Amino acid sequence: MEQLVPNISAQLNDVLQSLHFFVPELYLTVLFIVVLVTDLLFGKRSAKMCRLVATGGLLLVILQVINQQVVLPHDMAQRVFNGMLVLHHPAISFKLVIDVLALILLMYFAWDNKLKQHTKGLSDLYSIVIGSLLGLHVMAMAVNLLSIYLGIEFVSIASYLLASYRTGNAKSTEAGLKYVLFGAAASAVMLYGISLIYSFTGTLDIFAPQMQEGLTHVNGVSSTFAVGLVLLGIGFKLSSVPVHFYVPDVYEGAATPVTAYLSTLPKIAGFALLVNFITPLILFGTGANWAGINIRIVLSVAGIITMIAGNFAALWQNSVKRMLAYSGIGHTGFALMAVTTFSAAGLSSITYYLFVYGLANIAALMMANFFENNEDITNISDYKGLGFKYPLISVAFVVVMISLTGIPISAGFTGKVLVFSAVYDIYQQTHDVWLLALMATGAITTVVGLFYYIKIPLNLFLKRVEIVPNEILKSTNLVVFSSVIALLLIIFGILPHLLTKVL
Amino acid sequence: MNLLSLLIFTPVLFGIIILILPSSMRASFRYLTLAATLVQLVISVIIYLNFKTGTTFGGINHEDQFQFAQKLPWIDLNLGSLGKLQIEYFVGIDGISVTILVMSALVMVVAAISSWEINSNLKGFFALFLLLDMAVMGVFCALDFFLFYTFYELMLLPLYFLIGMWGGVRREYAAIKFFLYTLFGSVFMLLVMVGLYLSVTDPATGNHTFNIIQMMNPNNYTNGSVFSASSHATILGLPARMVGFVVLFIAFAIKVPVVPLHTWLPDAHVEAPTPVSIILAGVLLKIGGYGIIRICMGIFPDAAVSSAFWLGLLGVISILYGAFNALAQRDLKRLIAYSSVSHMGFVLLGIASGTAEGVSGAMMQMISHGFLSSMLFFLVGVVYGRVHDRDIYNFRGLASLMPRYTVYVMIAFFASLGLPGFSAFVAEAFSLAGAFKSSSVNGLLPQWMAVCGAVGILLGAAYLLWTLQRMFFGTVSLKGGEIWKIALTDINFRETAALLPLALLALALGIMPSLVFGKINDAVLAFVSFLQLK
Repeated sequence: MEQLVPNISAQLNDVLQSLHFFVPELYLTVLFIVVLVTDLLFGKRSAKMCRLVATGGLLLVILQVINQQVVLPHDMAQRVFNGMLVLHHPAISFKLVIDVLALILLMYFAWDNKLKQHTKGLSDLYSIVIGSLLGLHVMAMAVNLLSIYLGIEFVSIASYLLASYRTGNAKSTEAGLKYVLFGAAASAVMLYGISLIYSFTGTLDIFAPQMQEGLTHVNGVSSTFAVGLVLLGIGFKLSSVPVHFYVPDVYEGAATPVTAYLSTLPKIAGFALLVNFITPLILFGTGANWAGINIRIVLSVAGIITMIAGNFAALWQNSVKRMLAYSGIGHTGFALMAVTTFSAAGLSSITYYLFVYGLANIAALMMANFFENNEDITNISDYKGLGFKYPLISVAFVVVMISLTGIPISAGFTGKVLVFSAVYDIYQQTHDVWLLALMATGAITTVVGLFYYIKIPLNLFLKRVEIVPNEILKSTNLVVFSSVIALLLIIFGILPHLLTKVL
Repeated sequence: MNLLSLLIFTPVLFGIIILILPSSMRASFRYLTLAATLVQLVISVIIYLNFKTGTTFGGINHEDQFQFAQKLPWIDLNLGSLGKLQIEYFVGIDGISVTILVMSALVMVVAAISSWEINSNLKGFFALFLLLDMAVMGVFCALDFFLFYTFYELMLLPLYFLIGMWGGVRREYAAIKFFLYTLFGSVFMLLVMVGLYLSVTDPATGNHTFNIIQMMNPNNYTNGSVFSASSHATILGLPARMVGFVVLFIAFAIKVPVVPLHTWLPDAHVEAPTPVSIILAGVLLKIGGYGIIRICMGIFPDAAVSSAFWLGLLGVISILYGAFNALAQRDLKRLIAYSSVSHMGFVLLGIASGTAEGVSGAMMQMISHGFLSSMLFFLVGVVYGRVHDRDIYNFRGLASLMPRYTVYVMIAFFASLGLPGFSAFVAEAFSLAGAFKSSSVNGLLPQWMAVCGAVGILLGAAYLLWTLQRMFFGTVSLKGGEIWKIALTDINFRETAALLPLALLALALGIMPSLVFGKINDAVLAFVSFLQLK
């Protein structure tokens, strides 16, 4: 105890210094409390108020993140809170992507009829989402095994709550429970991995020299096992093979806006975390005496299998949400391809790719939601001929599907080109066959992707049925909003530099 | 304002007008589309007339020799270690493109005229039609690979919907088959494109570039890059440049289509509505041939020369296989679709010969086939529109019922089978001459290929004349009896207006092939000498 006393002032100083680099997160913390209090003060009628506060507050948070991006020097990596977190430009880009998508989601939650009619009201939902955002931010910046675990759990618990927020039937209850169980198992596995690594190295800081020393000195199998367990825990958030099996059920069972949340934000933060976690391992790898696994091969294999499994499984789906769930797995595989580059270009292509994927996926689910609200249908085969009944949203749906497939002119295509370029560049330097295999798989699964994505335009426009016009058109918000996103996807497709300048 | 950009984006302008106009004015959509295509035709003729010829306007691998060029910065991404992503809006034409542009513009007019038969969902149809029109013109003008690829892929979606929404009974199957085939070819093309981009640097700026012409210059390849000729890199044990060539070739061969990648074509043609069939046969197949010349052989001339034998072989197989299949068809539209496969085989054979005659013949065949196949599909559409049947055996003695129609059918058939005096004769004669000459000049193709090609012409005469005899001669005997007899009226003014220019052009090109050869000659010679350098 006495030894600690002289350190206290230094520790405090560090914390105070660190707070400067933690402003968006402080805002989020305050916002979380404000939303919570609003909920308590306004009681049953607070949903609208909470929504207003949450979106307004999040706008401020976004401004703060942008401020960080402007202020922080470009190649600086600022360690904060005694090395718990790191703030650098990739992390800021990830945070920005997450916050912008979260803003869209916050507006979207109330537009789902089923969620809106929920007796509990939506106020809690807003506080949960804001709370989870704090966790997502931590995930994007975590470089210490403790903060990594903290961030993941933060997000996981929020996700469990969201997934079973409204459980209409036995199936969705089952999905919610499944999610909690699998999630808990995944965390446990990861925690086991973390404790193993700690016991091998005696440090939790993944950039510490002891980490490298410790891992190189233990048996290769043991270190591989430990690192593998942690990767598995992260993979759960990414919904990558082999920990993807919960995805379709949970996505289908959850309310559609929640699916939009689950399929984008935790995944994007998961990628940020994955990049942070493997960076030191790569550095060791180039140091040659690391006896463990070749991370590139592990990620490549996971990427290839994830792309194949996700895309091929999506072929047989009839439920829109299940189809998007599997296609989301496929996109995870594709983004993993960019991770294997370990290069700056690869990193920036991931943020671009994931942002565009997130936009398109949220828009797709919004439109699925629209048809759910208006026609009470969830299956692709029920979309027959609806394109003539709802022309605007159907055209937007086609655009979004094109972007998800990755065909010009759409932002999805540009994302694909950027990822391919990044991988190709590394291939040119290393002639690594795995990278070639990744690119070939990416190309083939694009064609497979077209096959199921095109089912929606096919049913909307090519199948002909008698149309019974609706008197009242519900959810015009969704039409407007998803059409705007579709338009944005085209604009970013033609002028991608508008987006890359910001990211 | 650059004429090419005007040519490319005129349809978009009209398309936007159509989208804005209320559906109550749907009657005007046809006229607007026709106006758009006519404006394009005028622009393309102006371009054709002002196109300068001479050895200093050869084009191919000399950027400064391209005419009507426009170059604007488009996408400028800073990719950190990868350098800058330099994508330009770069359009320009040389002799290879100019005649195809005029042909495409005319075919588009004919397609617009034949769109009078479309009666449902007019706004969607014409908007998609014009989008497709833009993409097609863009492909023939683009000199930046990224721009080219964008236009190339942009054609897929409108076509998918045009076939899928306005097509026949099996339209869904045909539309998705077409889409998947083409996309399969083009995603791998994307990989090669990215690889080329990372291998090539623009000497002026030092950035990597998508500029197709820069990709033709071996000096622009970075040492040690995948596609550099000097680094002898391999992909899966095969020479990288050969792999790149084969991938690009497959992508374009699907479009041409070359046997055995042709199976989407009969389905797409049979199910597509007449205007779309016309565009498909008249213009889209040419993109395959054009792409092989400009992109495939232009960027990988060394690989092209060493695999010329196989290209020629595929060409010959297409000629014969297409012709034999055409002989066996009962459906008139399917027959013409297979005849397209056969005729496009000559394009490949001519290109593979690597001689000036062969390449000129291939170019001529593309132009000639553009006019003739449009005419043939239009003619099928005339009968189908009247009685909704096109089985050859359900008709007999049409000549006495529809004399004027029969005249056009005879012109189209005789022109297609290569009667001297028509364009196809010149084209096929030059292709075969090139193939014959090849063994003595550059030794790329053996002479038996030319012989087999000549047999293809014979088979062409067989199926066309046989069809003529079965459907048009003899006493009148129709499956639908009196009702059909009344329905089968002779062609009207609108139909004549579409057919007459096509027939006249087929004749004009047969008598004065210099209309085409005069414009393409410098480019062809430049192309052939470019190939021989390797």
